[in-house]
Amino acid sequence: MATASAVPAVPKRARARLVYPQLTVPFILLVLCFAAWGTAANLTDVMVGVFRSIFDMSNLQAALVQFSYYGAYFLLAIPAAFINRRFGYKVGVLTGLGLAALGGLLFVPASELLVYEFFLLALFVLAAGLSILETSANPFVIAMGPENTATQRLNLAQAFNPVGANIGVLLGAVLILPHITPEASKTIMSPDELRRSQEADLSLVLGPYLGIALVLVIIWLLIFYRKMPTPAEKSQEAGEVKSGTLTRLWRNRHYRYGVGAQFFNVAAQVSVWTFTILYAQDVVGVPPGDSGWYLQASLILFLVARFAMTYLLGIFRPAKLLFLMGALGVVFCLIAMFSQNMVGLIAVVAISLSLSLMFPTIYGVALQGLGEDTKFGAAGLVMAILGGALIPLIHAALMDQVGAAFGFIVPGVCLALVTCYALFDLRTNRDADELVAEVPA
Amino acid sequence: MTRGGRATGWDARLSARLLATGCAAVLSLAVAACGDDDGDAGADQQITIGLITKQETNPYWVTMREVAEQTAEEHNVQLLTAAGKSDVDNESQVAALQYMSARDAAGILIAPADSEAVVPAIEEAREEGVTVIAVDTPTEPRSAVDALFATDNRQAGELIGRYARAKAEAQDIQPRVAMLELAPDITSGELRHDGFLEGLGLEEGDPRIVGSVNTEGDRAKGRRGMEQLLEGNPDINIVYAVNEPAAFGAAAALEAAGKDEGDVILVTVDGGCDAIKRGIRPGVMDATAQQYPENMAREGVRALVDAARGGEEPSGYLNTGVELITGNPVEAVESRNTAFGVRNCWG
Repeated sequence: MATASAVPAVPKRARARLVYPQLTVPFILLVLCFAAWGTAANLTDVMVGVFRSIFDMSNLQAALVQFSYYGAYFLLAIPAAFINRRFGYKVGVLTGLGLAALGGLLFVPASELLVYEFFLLALFVLAAGLSILETSANPFVIAMGPENTATQRLNLAQAFNPVGANIGVLLGAVLILPHITPEASKTIMSPDELRRSQEADLSLVLGPYLGIALVLVIIWLLIFYRKMPTPAEKSQEAGEVKSGTLTRLWRNRHYRYGVGAQFFNVAAQVSVWTFTILYAQDVVGVPPGDSGWYLQASLILFLVARFAMTYLLGIFRPAKLLFLMGALGVVFCLIAMFSQNMVGLIAVVAISLSLSLMFPTIYGVALQGLGEDTKFGAAGLVMAILGGALIPLIHAALMDQVGAAFGFIVPGVCLALVTCYALFDLRTNRDADELVAEVPA
Repeated sequence: MTRGGRATGWDARLSARLLATGCAAVLSLAVAACGDDDGDAGADQQITIGLITKQETNPYWVTMREVAEQTAEEHNVQLLTAAGKSDVDNESQVAALQYMSARDAAGILIAPADSEAVVPAIEEAREEGVTVIAVDTPTEPRSAVDALFATDNRQAGELIGRYARAKAEAQDIQPRVAMLELAPDITSGELRHDGFLEGLGLEEGDPRIVGSVNTEGDRAKGRRGMEQLLEGNPDINIVYAVNEPAAFGAAAALEAAGKDEGDVILVTVDGGCDAIKRGIRPGVMDATAQQYPENMAREGVRALVDAARGGEEPSGYLNTGVELITGNPVEAVESRNTAFGVRNCWG
C-alpha cells in the first residue's frame, strides 16, 4: 500500500511541472491505458452488429454484448476501489491490465468453439479488467504530480480516451465490417459452408481483440518492471464515508435527480452509439463495409463538439446549455424515427452533438455545493454507468418489435429526462439543507 | 467504375465503335481491370471473364454488375462488362459475346434478353472454349449453356402464395384473387404464376381467381390493369403482382378506389430497395419474395474463376436464393423482417 513517505519530494522550482520527473515514463504508460480502454469500449459498439450478422440473431441477443461490457464495468467499480485502497494503484493498474488482456485472449477459445456466450464471457472479463484499470488509473494520474496541475494532468490523460475510442471504431470499420460474409450469400449456403463462413468472420473479430490484448500485455510488462514511487492518495478513500453523507445526498434533490440524469445520459449515449451502425444498415440500407463510418463520424463530432461546449459553458449557465442540448437531442431522435432515410441517419449522427456536453455538465450540476460530500457523491454519479448496461437492452428489444428507426424512442425518452433535469435545476433554488455540507463542521 | 472506387487498374468505357462488327451500335461495353495490369500476380496468368446483362439502368442489373466487379477484384481477374439498351436487346448481347470471345475471355456470365435467339452466339463462344453461365434467365434450351445460376421463380411465387393463404385464413376472408401477370410465354412470369397458385392452394381456372391482366412488369400498365379488374370485381381482396413496379401500380389503383391497406393482401416478387422501403415497410405491400442478383454475380464469377484456374467446370443449376420479406409476419410461413430486406435489397 502506498504511504505518505513514498510521495516524491517536490523541488520548489518544479512546482509547475505537470508530472514529477521520475514518473514521466509511468505517466506515459498510463496515458496508453486511457487510449486502450477507449479502443476496447468503442470496438464493442461495432461488435453488436457484427455478432448479429455472424450468429444470425435478434437485436436483443446481440445487445447482450453491451450488457456484458457495461455490467462488468458497474460490478467491478467497488472491488477496484478496494484493490486500490488495500494494495495501491500500481497493483490496481496491473490487475486491471492483466484481467483485460486475459479477456482479449479468451477470444481465441471463443473463436474455436463458435459459441456466442463464450464471447460474452470474454467481453465481461475484458471489461472487468478495464473497469479496474480505469478506477486505478484516474487517481493514479492525479497523484503523479503536483496538486495544482492535477486537473490539467487528468485532462491530458483523458484526452487520449477519445483518441482510443476513434481507433476502436476505425479497427471495426476497416478490419471487420467490410469483410463480413454478406447476408444474402448465407441464404444459399449449406450448413458446412455456413460454419466455415462463421469461422472466417470470427477470425476477423479475433484479430483486433488479440491486438488489444497484446498491447495490454506489453503495457503490463513495462509497468511491472518499472520502479514506480507510488504516491499516496490524499483524497478521501472509498468507504470512508463521513457520518450523515448518504442522508444528506439523498435529501439533496439536485444530486438525487442528477444521478438519475446521468444514468439516462449514459444510457442514451451507449444506445445511440451501439445502434448507429444498425440504423445505417437496417433503415437506410448502407452496406456493412460503409456503415462503420457513420459511427466514426459520431465520435469525431462528439470530440469536436466537446471542445466547442467547453467554450460555450464559459458563456452560458451549464444547466441552460444542458436543457438546450437535451431538447435538441430529442428532436434528432424524432427525426431519426420518422425520417427513415439518409436524413434520419444524419440525425442519428447529430445526436452526438447533444451528448457531447452531458456527462461533465450533469456531473458538475449534480455535485454543486456538496462540499465534503463531493467525493462520495461523485462515486454515485460514476455508478450511473449501469444505464449503459440496461437501457440498450430495452432499445434492442423494441427494435425487434417495431424496427430500428422507432427504437430511437428509447434514447429520445432518456434525453427528454435529462432535459427535465436541466429544467428542474433552472427552475428550482437549492434549499439551505441541500447546501448544508458546504458549511464547515 | 467499381463501387467505392476500388478499381486498381485501368477502367475505361469503350465506345460502341470498338464493337467492330458494327452490329450493335447501342451496346455499351465497360471494361474494368480488377487485377494487376502488369501481370505481376505471381504465377497466375491474367484471367479475363465477362458479364453481359440486359440493360444498364435498372438497379437490378447495376447491382449485379457492381458485385461482379467487386468479386473479380477480390479474385484478381479482369472483368469485361456489357449491357444492351433494353430488356429485349438481343443484338447487343450477341455482339458482346463475340467481342468478349475475341478478347480471350475464359468464361462469360450472360442474362439472356432473348432465351432462344441468343443460343447460336452462345454455342459459337462455347466452341471456342469459353465457359458460359446463364444468370437470372435460362436459355431455351437450358443445355445451351454450361450452367444456370438463377432465382427459383416457382419457389418465389409459392412463398408469396403461401403467405397470402395464411394471411387470408388469419383474417377469415374468402379469396377473390386478381393476377397481374408479366406477358405471355415468358418463363419467369409463368413460373411465378404457377408457384403462387400452388402456394395459395388454388387450381388454374378456379372461380376465386376473378381476373388477370398482362402488365409487362410496368407500373402504369399495372395500375391500368388493376383498375380494369376492380371495375368488374370491387370485392378483390388478394392481389398477385409479378414484380414490384406492377405492384406499385396496383397499390395506386387500390388507393384511388378507396381501398385501405388492410382491405387487400398485395404480394409480389423481386426485393428491390424502392419496394422494400416504400412498399413493404410502410405496409403498402404485404410481402415480397426477395431475389439476390448479387448471389448470381458473386457465385458466377467465382465459378468461372475456379474453372479458369483448373477447378471444376460449372454445370447444372444453382438456386441463388429467395426469401419472403414482410412487415406483417404470419405464423405458418417463415419470413424475414423489413430490416433484413433493406440490408439485402438491390438498387
